[in-house]
Amino acid sequence: MNQPYSLASHGSELLSGLLGHIADVRPDADTRRITRAYEAAAYWHEGQQRRSGDPYITHPVAVAEILADAGEDDQTLCAALLHDVTEDTPCTLAGLRQEFGDDVAGLVAAVVALDAAPADQVAAACSDSEAAVALAGDRRALVIKVADRLHNIRTLRHLPHAKQLDKSRQALDIMVPLARTLGMDAIGAELESLASATLRRARQRPGTASGHLLAATTALLPAGSRARWREEWLAELHVLPTRRERARFAVQIVAGIGRLAVTLYQPGALLRQVSSAILTAAVAASGLVAGGWRTAMAMTAAAVAVLGTVTWVLRSDDRTRRLTELIQAVRAAPASQARPAPRESDPGDGS
Amino acid sequence: MSRNPRMTLQTQLVLRVMLDKPDAHYYGLQLREETGLPGGTIYPIMARLEQAGWVTSSWEDPAEHVTEGRPRRHYYRFADKGAEQARDAVARAYRPRKQPRPGFGVPWPDLPGMSP
Repeated sequence: MNQPYSLASHGSELLSGLLGHIADVRPDADTRRITRAYEAAAYWHEGQQRRSGDPYITHPVAVAEILADAGEDDQTLCAALLHDVTEDTPCTLAGLRQEFGDDVAGLVAAVVALDAAPADQVAAACSDSEAAVALAGDRRALVIKVADRLHNIRTLRHLPHAKQLDKSRQALDIMVPLARTLGMDAIGAELESLASATLRRARQRPGTASGHLLAATTALLPAGSRARWREEWLAELHVLPTRRERARFAVQIVAGIGRLAVTLYQPGALLRQVSSAILTAAVAASGLVAGGWRTAMAMTAAAVAVLGTVTWVLRSDDRTRRLTELIQAVRAAPASQARPAPRESDPGDGS
Repeated sequence: MSRNPRMTLQTQLVLRVMLDKPDAHYYGLQLREETGLPGGTIYPIMARLEQAGWVTSSWEDPAEHVTEGRPRRHYYRFADKGAEQARDAVARAYRPRKQPRPGFGVPWPDLPGMSP
């Protein structure tokens, strides 16, 4: 470990953030040593990324911050910063021992060893602090592990869905009781609420036939709003007591989905444009087949005129009056020779 | 925001229910029960009221639905001036039309160009 540690430029804020957390709780901390541990970790994790796309070093720093807030000692903070280097990088335990001493290296080794610990021992450690210390050799190794999990749970949304569930269950079964046993109540409480919220959200899968129907129906809505309506409706469905009522609710929603879609696709503009384009194209094509170019053009012009007129009437606030005006205009037509257009901008009046 | 929503009878019904307690928040199923309208009608109306800026919506606070052990609700409530606008619109919708429109039972006025 004689390589010079490069301190990446974006990293200085990370480090100063961490030192800020430490200074709040323990002003007498050995910041030089912690800075060195940070630089070593940043050096070894250089170029690695978290799932979120953040530089990997943000993770050990976040873990160290959680521990700094909990008032843990310098060795624990150094080991927290370095807890992943032996596993994920070429850095060796011997190198760590040489650079940071037996205490820090031993803690890192103990944290790594915890992942391979037999399940029954881990389960025992959850409720009994003596068993916990026997398992890890050092209480602080467990403390680091709990903080590690807390940060993972905080950033869980970047994982695939199945993994989120797995990690959340693990957190509830093992890490929450372990945190309580270790006296880290605040961390335990945060872990518990985050993990159980993830599981609760997952439980809200469509489940019933009505739920599946509703979830499928949202495909007709604009992409950006699907998730919201899906969650909203499934939540409503959840509190309806009987299957019959759920089915009724689902059928009602499906019956109204057209109205909702038109509302959400910004006052129907998209639908209207698409449907008139298809209609016009169809008319043009049939004209072309029936009588060649001239007929096609005449029919297209007529179709555009009719569509324009219909839209003009339908979009009006006072449809009856528009319709009256229209009928009136058409009736006046024979007198004034030419076929009048209901609106100047309407093409097709020459056809 | 966009223009005012059309005051259909169903929209008026929803607004009148909400105006009973203008500061409360409502969820879709609750409005469905209180208005007796089908769910498929409620949600498009709420979407339109939201677009018009009369109503805002938000997800329920975790503290509430977690203690009640159910998924979070989506709540609707009147926006800043939403209740005022809604009250005006409902009142206006009730006012009888000043001029009867031509149509059933109302004689057609003399329209220019209608004589044969």
